[in-house]
Amino acid sequence: MKFIDDSRVRIAVLLESSGRVLAQHGFTRSVDVMSACALAAAIHASAAEIGRQLDGTPFTTLHHAGHERQIFLGELSTGKGAHILLTVFDDATSIGLVRLYFAELSRRLAGAAAGMAAAPPTFADFESDLNRNLAKLFGRI
Amino acid sequence: MTKTPYAELLAMLSRHRGVVGSFVVSERDGLAVDSNVQIGVHAEAVAALAASLHRKARLACGAAGCGVVTFLRLDAEKGGICAAGRDDLVLVTISEARANIGLLRVEMMRAAKALT
Repeated sequence: MKFIDDSRVRIAVLLESSGRVLAQHGFTRSVDVMSACALAAAIHASAAEIGRQLDGTPFTTLHHAGHERQIFLGELSTGKGAHILLTVFDDATSIGLVRLYFAELSRRLAGAAAGMAAAPPTFADFESDLNRNLAKLFGRI
Repeated sequence: MTKTPYAELLAMLSRHRGVVGSFVVSERDGLAVDSNVQIGVHAEAVAALAASLHRKARLACGAAGCGVVTFLRLDAEKGGICAAGRDDLVLVTISEARANIGLLRVEMMRAAKALT
């Protein structure tokens, strides 16, 4: 919440690199969140691969500016592996401020995760998440 | 690395006594276009926050019917920040308390006119 208050972004979603949602602010419908996460994970994977091919290291942040709204996508490294933060913002803030507070969030998360052992996701988690998300997507929940 | 058109202007401002950094910042993006800062100055953070400050001052002056912001000065315990804008570009300096703000203001106002 501190990141959202400071950076004044309209929408923020924290997700795993697989596309699984961890936290969100600003969306009102769960279908929108899932679509955004699936797209964000795909964009992040594509950008990382382009970075590997061009520069030898994956690109970790991405910014698109529209007429009224902009998106910023950044990778957060934690003790539990890499996470992705997707933000949508308008002219209430700027890409400079979003990047500034993203860097602060990244430092805080890295500090909080220090000492925590990385645990790979289990197949049981994956399957139950997948079933729940599919059920939500097709309106069974 | 290629010099930007603002390199000389920023070097001139940074030569003033007590000035520890100067930037040209895009107000809309909050990103530094060019900077001349001493070691230890967090250029990206200052650029983003100063651009936001200038934008809010411009909006406040507009709402109050004061017209266009020409110069912004923020005094703090150990120094201050000055900003002078033109269109989307803002010239920002960070100075220590010993800086001659009057002289710096004249130079910044003059330099801001050259921003394009």
